[in-house]
Amino acid sequence: MTQSFRLESGGLINRDKKISFKFNGKNYFGFEGDTLASALIANGVHLIGRSFKYHRPRGFFGAGVDEPYAIVQLYRNGETEPNIKATEQELFEGLEAKSVNCWPSVNFDVGAINNLLKIFLPAGFYYKTFMWPKSFWYKIYEPFIRKAAGLGTASIKHDKERYEHKYEYCDLLITGSGPSGLASAYSAAKNGAKVILAEDKSRFGGTLLTSEVNIGNQSGKEWADSIISELKEMPNVTVKNRSQVFGYYDHNMLVMSERISDHLPKTKKFHPKQRLWYIRAKEVLISSGSIERPIVFGNNDTPGVMLSSAAKEYLKVYGVLVGKKPLVFTNNDSGYETAIEFKKNGIDPIILDTRKEPQSEIIEEAKNMNINIKNSYVVVAAKGYKKVKSADIAKISDDKEKLGSIENIECDCICVSGFWTPTIHLASQSGNKTKFNKDIDAFVPGISKQNEKTLGAANGIYTLEETLKDSFEKGNLLSKKITNNENKVSFPNVVEKKSAVHDKFWCVPLPKGKNYKRFLDFQNDVAVSDIEIALKEGYRSIEHVKRYTTLGMATDQGKTSNLNGLQLVSKIENKVVPAVGHTTFRPPYSPISIGAIVGREVGKHSKPTRKSPMHSWHEKNNAVFVDAGVWLRPRYYKQGKENLFEASKREAKNVRTNVGVCDVTTLGKIDIKGPDAAELLNRVYTNAWLKLPVGKARYGVMLREDGIVLDDGTTTRISENHYHMTTTTAQAANVLSHLEYYLQLVWPELNVNVVSTTEQWAGAAIAGPKSRDLLQKLFPNSDVSNEGLPFMGYLEGDLFGVKARIFRISFSGELAYEVNVESDNGNFMWEKIIEFGQEFKIQPYGTEALSTLRIEMGHVAGSELDGRTIPYDNSLEGLLSKKKDFIGKRSLTREAFTAEDRQKIVGVVPLDKKTSIPEGSHLVKDSNAPLPNPKLGYISASCWSVEHDNPFSLAILKDGKNMIGEKLFVMSPLKNKVIPVQIVSSHYVDPKGERVRS
Amino acid sequence: MQKYSVFSLIKNALSNHKNWDLAWKDPTPKKEYDVVIIGGGGHGLATAYYLAKEHNITNVAIIEKGWIGGGNVGRNTTIIRSNYMHDDNALFSEFGMDLWRRMSQDLNYNVMFSPRGIINLAHSDAQMNTYARRGNSMRLNGIDAVLLNREEVKEIIPMADFSENVRFPIFGGLMQPSAGTARHDAVAWGYARQADDMGVDIIQNCEVIGFDVSAGKINGVRTSRGDIKAKKIGLCVAGSTNILAEKLNMTLPIETHLLQACVSEPVKPVLDKVVTFGAGHFYISQSDKGEMVMGGDLDGYNSYAQRGNLPTLQHVLTEGIAMMPFLSKLKMLRTWGGIMDMSMDGSPIIDKTHIEGLYLNCGWCYGGFKATPASGWTFAHTIAQDRVHELNSGYSLNRFNTGHLLDEKGLGTKTWIS
Amino acid sequence: MRSQNEFSYGGDASIKRPELGKDVSDKDWDNFVYNRKSLRGKHWELWQHVSGCRQWIKVERDTSTHEIFNTLKANEEISL
Repeated sequence: MTQSFRLESGGLINRDKKISFKFNGKNYFGFEGDTLASALIANGVHLIGRSFKYHRPRGFFGAGVDEPYAIVQLYRNGETEPNIKATEQELFEGLEAKSVNCWPSVNFDVGAINNLLKIFLPAGFYYKTFMWPKSFWYKIYEPFIRKAAGLGTASIKHDKERYEHKYEYCDLLITGSGPSGLASAYSAAKNGAKVILAEDKSRFGGTLLTSEVNIGNQSGKEWADSIISELKEMPNVTVKNRSQVFGYYDHNMLVMSERISDHLPKTKKFHPKQRLWYIRAKEVLISSGSIERPIVFGNNDTPGVMLSSAAKEYLKVYGVLVGKKPLVFTNNDSGYETAIEFKKNGIDPIILDTRKEPQSEIIEEAKNMNINIKNSYVVVAAKGYKKVKSADIAKISDDKEKLGSIENIECDCICVSGFWTPTIHLASQSGNKTKFNKDIDAFVPGISKQNEKTLGAANGIYTLEETLKDSFEKGNLLSKKITNNENKVSFPNVVEKKSAVHDKFWCVPLPKGKNYKRFLDFQNDVAVSDIEIALKEGYRSIEHVKRYTTLGMATDQGKTSNLNGLQLVSKIENKVVPAVGHTTFRPPYSPISIGAIVGREVGKHSKPTRKSPMHSWHEKNNAVFVDAGVWLRPRYYKQGKENLFEASKREAKNVRTNVGVCDVTTLGKIDIKGPDAAELLNRVYTNAWLKLPVGKARYGVMLREDGIVLDDGTTTRISENHYHMTTTTAQAANVLSHLEYYLQLVWPELNVNVVSTTEQWAGAAIAGPKSRDLLQKLFPNSDVSNEGLPFMGYLEGDLFGVKARIFRISFSGELAYEVNVESDNGNFMWEKIIEFGQEFKIQPYGTEALSTLRIEMGHVAGSELDGRTIPYDNSLEGLLSKKKDFIGKRSLTREAFTAEDRQKIVGVVPLDKKTSIPEGSHLVKDSNAPLPNPKLGYISASCWSVEHDNPFSLAILKDGKNMIGEKLFVMSPLKNKVIPVQIVSSHYVDPKGERVRS
Repeated sequence: MQKYSVFSLIKNALSNHKNWDLAWKDPTPKKEYDVVIIGGGGHGLATAYYLAKEHNITNVAIIEKGWIGGGNVGRNTTIIRSNYMHDDNALFSEFGMDLWRRMSQDLNYNVMFSPRGIINLAHSDAQMNTYARRGNSMRLNGIDAVLLNREEVKEIIPMADFSENVRFPIFGGLMQPSAGTARHDAVAWGYARQADDMGVDIIQNCEVIGFDVSAGKINGVRTSRGDIKAKKIGLCVAGSTNILAEKLNMTLPIETHLLQACVSEPVKPVLDKVVTFGAGHFYISQSDKGEMVMGGDLDGYNSYAQRGNLPTLQHVLTEGIAMMPFLSKLKMLRTWGGIMDMSMDGSPIIDKTHIEGLYLNCGWCYGGFKATPASGWTFAHTIAQDRVHELNSGYSLNRFNTGHLLDEKGLGTKTWIS
Repeated sequence: MRSQNEFSYGGDASIKRPELGKDVSDKDWDNFVYNRKSLRGKHWELWQHVSGCRQWIKVERDTSTHEIFNTLKANEEISL
């Protein structure tokens, strides 16, 4: 293919570098500096895709971020990405793209049958039908509709690209490098302010690249180039292209997405694909320009109908003709600039101007160039299906209501200009209440809510001189406020052509007897008739209109359609536009990769992984790990071909008969110091703490203020004013915040400090009848006898030169100790325990064996303390002090908490002593009762009792106190299980607690 | 009323769609009504509909500050389910499921209820047990539930992360096959259209300024469009509950918080189920339009701003990619926020109040959309009969005093932790 | 200026815990544990600098605009 629509010269592309690419399987060439859109147009390709609803042919409408049509599936470096705007995608060698939303091909699309049926598919049609028969919606209709919708195809492969985040502070953030952005950045930079200038496109300069103006005896582009190169050299300035500021959040935090690699064939090694900048700016200058507005007419979605500014951009930036027989349809002078540009390149355009007798310098110039200008003329309808072939045009009456006789003129493109809409998205996101400016028929920013100002076209200022003046001044003033410098930049001489007033005309009436679709929203196929139906049916709020018709809800978010939609509603409802109001602008300005928002916290790094100091030992010894929050804990140590059940039974049994060691490093640890430490404990725990002697530990339970158990654990008095608290792994952070809350806010008079020491200590629980013998070997110099270190006693010992804390506490219900050393010595401790434990047949045990041991002892853990139970439910009521008040005590008097038949923990044993009871099952009286079958309680934890060698479970059971001995059924419908069981005491092993004291 | 059908569609097409009736009228408020419902969201509209349909009370006005359907019914993630553990929540929601299943036909308005199924992913055996407890409870309450193992989950949603490079591997999940989604706006509009047809006045742009209460009895409401007398008033204002409660000198066990949601650009069908992440708080489904509809945690502090912050969204999407890595390449198209009436145990309140003739419907947290029909039905019953129905007897206001709490998550009063 | 990510929220700062050991009526207790005004507009609330100095602070913020008017240390009293 030759680039038959490429001019011989001109444009900002690099003609020395030819780039090959593929579209729908065909090979094409473009040049470095092209977008996919400009390269396709250069090759005469105008059919890009199909529309969402009617599957009408789609071409190009714009040349940038506002593009509603030209959405493609992109293939890059073996990966694919859906919904890429061809107008934004820069061309790279080997680029491949395909049309979306069409089958079997963009040329012949079966879905286009919808276009023939379109009179039956008006706005809201699906609310009115597809209801019969009842089951058909989900089974028949909906799958069909789902398949038809959706644009591109998501690859379900993992994304191998890397996305980064960056945090930045600046004095001034300037969003857009058009005339206002450059001028304000320049004057602020000269004042020494720290400036970030962001440009969404690859080229700096905005409209200066395409307008025929002169600044300080340079062309617009030359001036832009010189300013940019000077800014780039300044140390206080960051200039970023391919960077879109898409969100304006609270406290002047803005977020910018920088596309670092999307324009390259593949991402360079160690480079991210995109980088997200969180920018905290003292001041923000919004210089985002404006977007040209379409004029609405019949079949205005035909490929070849496009914005006149886009046609000019393709000419001036890319040296590409969007057509060779252009028709320019305009209500203002912008269309003339495009026409003049065509003419300069040897193409004869025809201008249809809705105005009667406009006069201005630009119009004069066009006339002097002998351009055919038809005043008071409109395009009634575009003709042609896959490309514009001609246009029906007509004269329009002065009141713009009546059309003259229809004439047909040949053309291959229609360049439309309906005047300009300021891009106020960022201002609106910042909380600025926008106001309607009647002079330009559009909304502009109103009073600022945050430190934000809007400049130039984004503020509805359309002359270059005024824009530059205002921007130089604002840049200077705002930077002066921050830096106190005053380096005024001299204002350059500006030459531009004066424009005539635009015509407040935006929609061509239908000729008699014609029923052309006149589109407002080009991607979602929302036409004037759809809005009319919505309003007729009473969907009158602009939000109702939007939702009923889907106006402005496509991927372009209504950048070219919203205002025309508003105009239409205001006209039919006979209201002024501001009374109709616009829907709220929310971030992002244009769609942003979810990968970029998330950054590096993906895969294994989506959450931190915490490992104990003994982790590598566990790994070496075949530990199978389990996630406990963000911690990794050994669940069991696999020997040979053992499974979880066999291994945990072996480990638990070994604890009951010999001695085992378990890594308990993950338990929360809080160091508590100060003269009022005992008082603090006495207030937050339910039991009494004032008389705990030094060198002793105590078990305690903490409640929330609503009476529900928050956590349990032991706290040890290390010295007079020094305590060591342990918490469960899950609640460690909450308990610390809980203590800090009371200390700082409720009882500031208490002189206590708390600090987390979870990571400072490595912990090993040594449990089993032989644990004392082992401990004696480890601490030959300490008296660890039952007298020297009684149950709940505490000692400081010397573990072969390492300082250790020894607590005689037990979770397993066996004679047991917990040894803590500083984390760095954790592995040393562990290896010593294993080494000296050999003669006592020591085995490490994991969380599964730990569970077994605690369950058969009736010790409660997370599955019982689930945020819904009070102490009584867990048989912890003995720990509730009657003498003192404590956090949450007042709540325990509630009716439900004191009910006679209140739920309570019990033990559950299957009658056959064989069938394991699945956790999460429920207890019922009658397994054959009709549903809903009343549930009496649930199985909170199950194990194979190594002591009794049969299954045993804990349950929280209604009226548990009086249920011991009862026979009930355990039901797990999910597993199809009904198990007859007997209710027993929750203390299934050593109910008197003799072993821990032995 | 015009009946919607494929025939009416063809008939109207042939007359150029010029003859469609108003879906609802735009009346000026009368001086007095038997019942005034404050709040033209899903629950308010459904309440009015069921008052008229089930209790023959048609002298009813719905007054709405903005436009109907503009509250959370217009800004949710459209998930409908009854996968609750507590009996009160489960039986109430399952009653609602029945109403959902026939809603399109009842309302003659296609609300596009799609029982596509919901899967709650589990990432540990402990979590599988927690889900088993919930699923068994559902089954014993007559609600469908299936416990899936890893392989079964993989078969249904292969795009979830089953790779080695995953922080929290998928162990399995709990599925409610009959759960699904519906077209949220259509629910509001469908109820409005039928209620209007039965004589209910739908009054938009009408803000409540105050209440007329004397001798412990409600007499009417003062609005921006004048005073309106009413024998009974029902409050259905979700995120504005605290504001109206203040006007009634009531302090409720409710805090107002912001929940954000977002959608991706539309893509061809890839995900047929509603899926929730178990190692965090994230949920996703794909709309009929092709957009991935996603949500997660609250913004985390009291808020009436219908605009959210990015860190929360980033956090939510991080969990999204952790669950389904392919989301990374999709683009976030649109974000929005809804104002939630977070109750102190996470379950709602549908009850009478200490003021005679004043009824309260609030505390829906982020579960309000699915409850729309059941909430309207039971609230209408409570108002019409002046007593709660068995179905909403657990949703009493005084449960916070008695301790009969319905805490599905066990998080207690820190409503901002979700 | 610190990132919001470093802080965790702690709810209404105007709620006062009844003194330990004193009799509290049901109503007062429920008001403390459950009932919240949670109004639109200015709101005194608690935040903890969890990923930092771990201090609890009191912040006066507008719940509809997120504008921050005032901050106090944990032991400073709010004057309304």
